[in-house]
Amino acid sequence: MAQLPLDELSTVIARIQGLLLTEEKVTTAVRLLAQAAKESVPGTIGAGVSLLDARGRRTSSGYTDMIVRQADAVQYERGEGPCLTAWAAEEPVLVPDLASESRWPEWRKGVAGLPILSVVSAPLMAGGQSIGALKLYAAAPNVYDEGSAALLQLFAAPAATLLSHIQASEAPLRMSEGLQASLYTRDMVNRACGVLMERRALSHEDALQLLIKQAREEHAALHQVCERVLAGTPASGI
Amino acid sequence: MGFDANEPEQRRRLRAAIKAVDISVSELWLKYFGLSGDAGEYEVEAYLQGLLSLPPVQRDLLALAANELIDDLPRPRAPYSDDFEDADQGDAESAGREDGGGRQPEPGE
Repeated sequence: MAQLPLDELSTVIARIQGLLLTEEKVTTAVRLLAQAAKESVPGTIGAGVSLLDARGRRTSSGYTDMIVRQADAVQYERGEGPCLTAWAAEEPVLVPDLASESRWPEWRKGVAGLPILSVVSAPLMAGGQSIGALKLYAAAPNVYDEGSAALLQLFAAPAATLLSHIQASEAPLRMSEGLQASLYTRDMVNRACGVLMERRALSHEDALQLLIKQAREEHAALHQVCERVLAGTPASGI
Repeated sequence: MGFDANEPEQRRRLRAAIKAVDISVSELWLKYFGLSGDAGEYEVEAYLQGLLSLPPVQRDLLALAANELIDDLPRPRAPYSDDFEDADQGDAESAGREDGGGRQPEPGE
């Protein structure tokens, strides 16, 4: 995660404002990339790009057609599929004919109703790290061969380098969401302290200590204890 | 400023805990800030380095922040045999949620 001086409100505001532009840049770049990939291999009915974080969760995606969105959604729901394999194995995945494929049973079940029989997917490798996958779908079998996989891989290399730079500057976006959540819980903790200070004639520090003690004893999150105090339904001890 | 008798040990074990699960200082600080922590990110960094002393309640908030982050980490869970019957009925989504591990969400969360 980016190391930035977060404790300056001006920095925070600058980051919150900057993120909208950054998000737009990612979406546009990813969509253009998917369009170019689609046109690179004849017979392709749809192309898509997914960017994944280190744990395989999707952070951004771009696609040319609705069918790609549907087929991709099934992959991330079921946690398996050609793109996730390409991303994890860091090498291209070729599916000449889905009807005679034995990998990813859950995903195949999920896309059985979609007109997809050929798939090729290449990992997006940037700086030695797999940051996502590029994929093409076709309605007919045997549309893709080793040559299409190699072509897609050639295509993926410069695209991954470009996207990794955008993704790096996207980090403040996720951080800012975390920051908003932190501001919310911080406010809640302080309000709960205020309620206890008035209710039990405590100092701010003693009120905070009481809340911490309660959270530890219940093995609950501090914000949950505070929520209860604010709702007027404190458990024993407070 | 001098240190409390237990402060160096409390600090050392906090640092070991976040290092063991790969939590960065900025992640720790943000969580601590959300729990109403008053020290800035640089002060927290300095505390972890042993360059600065923090009052007990701030140290405990840092410990609580670290523990809440650790509790939220997804941990793999071994499935039971009837977990698979679940998945066959197309209930893969709820099975996936169980796999998330960590604390169960409480009402109102």
